[in-house]
Amino acid sequence: MNTFESSIPLIHNSVNIMTPFLLAAMGGLFTELSGMLNIALEGLMLFGAFFSVVFAYYTGSLFFGVLLGITVTMALSLVFGSITLYLKANVFITGLATNLFASGFTVVLAFHLFGNKGVILFQDLPELPKLTIPLLQKLPFIGDLFINHNIFVYLSWLVVIAAYLVIYKTPFGMHVRGTGLNARAIKSLGLNPRKYQLSAILISGFTCGLAGAVLTLNLGAFIPNMTSGRGWIALVVIYLGNRTPLGVLIASFIFGFAESFSNYAQGSINIPADFILAFPYLITVAALILHSMWKHYRVEAR
Amino acid sequence: MSYLEMRGIIRLYKESGVLANDKVDLSVEKNEIHAIVGENGAGKSTLMKILHGLERPDQGTITFRGREVSIANPLDADRLGIGMVHQHFQLIPQFTICENIVLGIEPKKYSIFFDREKARGRVMGIIKEYGFKIEPGLTVSQLTFGQMQLVEILKMLYRQADLLILDEPTSVLTEQEIKKLFTTLRNLKKIGKTVIIITHKLNEVKEISDRVTVMRKGKVAAVKKTAEVDRKELSRLMVGKSVLYDIERAELTRGLPVLELKEVTLRQKNQDMPLLDKLNLTVHASEIVGVAGVGGNGLAELEDVVTGLRRISSGEIYYNNNRITNSTIHELREQGLCYVPADRLYRGSSLRSSVKENMIITNSRNFQKAGIMSQKRVQDFADTLTAKYSIDGDTALPIGYLSGGNIQKVILARELEAKADFIVFSEPAWGLDIASSEFVYKKILQLREQGSAILLISSDLQEILTLADRVVVMYKGRIAADLANREITKEIIGEYMHGIRGDFEVK
Ligand SMILES: Nc1ncnc2c1ncn2[C@@H]1O[C@H](COP(=O)(O)OP(=O)(O)OP(=O)(O)O)[C@@H](O)[C@H]1O
Ligand SMILES: [Mg+2]
Repeated sequence: MNTFESSIPLIHNSVNIMTPFLLAAMGGLFTELSGMLNIALEGLMLFGAFFSVVFAYYTGSLFFGVLLGITVTMALSLVFGSITLYLKANVFITGLATNLFASGFTVVLAFHLFGNKGVILFQDLPELPKLTIPLLQKLPFIGDLFINHNIFVYLSWLVVIAAYLVIYKTPFGMHVRGTGLNARAIKSLGLNPRKYQLSAILISGFTCGLAGAVLTLNLGAFIPNMTSGRGWIALVVIYLGNRTPLGVLIASFIFGFAESFSNYAQGSINIPADFILAFPYLITVAALILHSMWKHYRVEAR
Repeated sequence: MSYLEMRGIIRLYKESGVLANDKVDLSVEKNEIHAIVGENGAGKSTLMKILHGLERPDQGTITFRGREVSIANPLDADRLGIGMVHQHFQLIPQFTICENIVLGIEPKKYSIFFDREKARGRVMGIIKEYGFKIEPGLTVSQLTFGQMQLVEILKMLYRQADLLILDEPTSVLTEQEIKKLFTTLRNLKKIGKTVIIITHKLNEVKEISDRVTVMRKGKVAAVKKTAEVDRKELSRLMVGKSVLYDIERAELTRGLPVLELKEVTLRQKNQDMPLLDKLNLTVHASEIVGVAGVGGNGLAELEDVVTGLRRISSGEIYYNNNRITNSTIHELREQGLCYVPADRLYRGSSLRSSVKENMIITNSRNFQKAGIMSQKRVQDFADTLTAKYSIDGDTALPIGYLSGGNIQKVILARELEAKADFIVFSEPAWGLDIASSEFVYKKILQLREQGSAILLISSDLQEILTLADRVVVMYKGRIAADLANREITKEIIGEYMHGIRGDFEVK
């Protein structure tokens, strides 16, 4: 696409590719901190992907597409959260159910609306706005990292900053973290742990909706199950990022880079394609092993 | 009218069917230190949780400072000036002292951000005002128990509590820390605060309190001026009068030693006081040894050790003269141990498995034909047990659907049918009604007549006196008394349990 405008395309692409991971993981971080394993990220993201492009198509506006896409995704997360928290269902089962539901429902609805179960192209979507500063984007590395990205990239950074502020600088963030660390203590203070868990799930609905929008609006198309495991990788990213916003940012970049590298290598390096395609996942596994070894070591050292 | 009046408080826990508070009245005068004592499960914590809004009473009224109040949650209690330190610390270890203290009512900056500086300033103010010494920037996980206790107290003072409730504040503290705590409490009293303190330690009641309310089995047994009762009388009030079951214990001569503990010691990491301190105990065939003690004195640990759930630090355990020190529970079961745990829900049963699966879980081999379960044999066995033990419930349903008492019966049935030669019972009658209890007691005595060696761990002294041949009393991880069950009374056991009697000094 625009890789030629940039001096190190690998880096530039990494930043683009990491954005959905980063967004999904940032919302997942909230649920994680509130003490719940949110495996529904995948399904939520898929919902966001489908509904933002569909609404953008019908309204002819990117803004309303994203807004409505996020709203629908948050509604799904509200259902997921309420069933988990108030009907006391197992969060793993409800998360799995959310993923299966999202996967099936988007395909069925796509077929219903567009008569197509496969790839749906949306031709006349407006272009995504981009930040272009010709002077700066020629700068190697800095230019690649920061300039000439679409609006979602910058939005995702705002989300990171906001997440950092909310988690560490507000009473709400303290209560969310407190809930994850010792829900009984939170309860003994007269606060309601479930309220914070539900809020965290809603936040993950918000960021996953946005993450999904990034996928489809970038591409101008919806492909069934197009999240293809990104929600799961986002979970890994949360752990690798040591459950902090900054850590999640760095871990996302590593995954973005891995995928970007795998895309690049397919065209230029003489390695079997299967291996190259598996590269991001190999990175995932390797990173998880290293992470658990490091944790183990830290515990031993104490 | 007193400063605080709780009247006719009733609280039934539907989940467990326990009537934790049964028309409890409590009145506390302004500016006194009021102790509440009672055995484990007497309902003390429940009453205090109601006062602090963490539990709602089914019935009853609370009048505070002359006005009837409704306390729906801890924030209401805070607003009224009622603060509580729970039996287990309610702190977030990863947060700082300051964060823990202000949590829930944080000062704010630009109306959304947490104002750390202001919080620190206010906390420092409170610390100075009451003359404590602690650095609010420290993380709670680095603190000693004594300091954590102080943080809990600061939490109340920060919320400007006038009535301070402390639920067993001393149980995890060292002697020095307790002294400090009591000095603090006396100072708080001096400046006009009122304190309710729950404790199991009768010497502490004497030392710190002005009046004492004794609770027993969900009711108030007595209210006394501390100066007018001695520890013996308190202990007697706590354990209550004897009720006799219609049960005969036949005279038997005991057989050979079946289980022997020699100098068994159990230590916990980073703790000076051992949980079990050089225990010597023998259980013979055709003998029931009852173990009594107040919670936290080593009963649970003894149970874990003899059933192979926890490894001992030193000493030896023999079973029919074979050394079984540190055998696993599975190995012990293979050799003939049976175990009816007190914690039936998590230890005794697999809640999601069906009733019949739970009935055969420990000897499933007997129901197999060439490695395949015979459903018919299982069903027959299950039907026999439900009839024999009058278990109420469908055997195909998950056991978690049964009532607490019925779950209990399933596990008892399973273990009693196994006819082992060594059986550990922990609170066998918990959750059972009188008729079922009697039935279980008769079963236990029958096992004794058949020659089993039985260790009975129980908080119910009446149960122990009804069943046991010998009574062992645990106090601070040691055996404070080992008495033949002849001419001993609840009162005597109670005195050993509370360290009033006993021929050793506690360091
Ligand atoms: N949340 C609960 N659900 C069901 N039953 C409960 C619950 N909390 C307490 N109980 C039961 O209510 C009874 C009274 O419990 P409570 O905690 O008030 O006793 P306590 O006097 O504080 O005892 P201890 O000295 O052991 O702390 C016990 O039989 C207990 O098992
Ligand atoms: Mg209690």
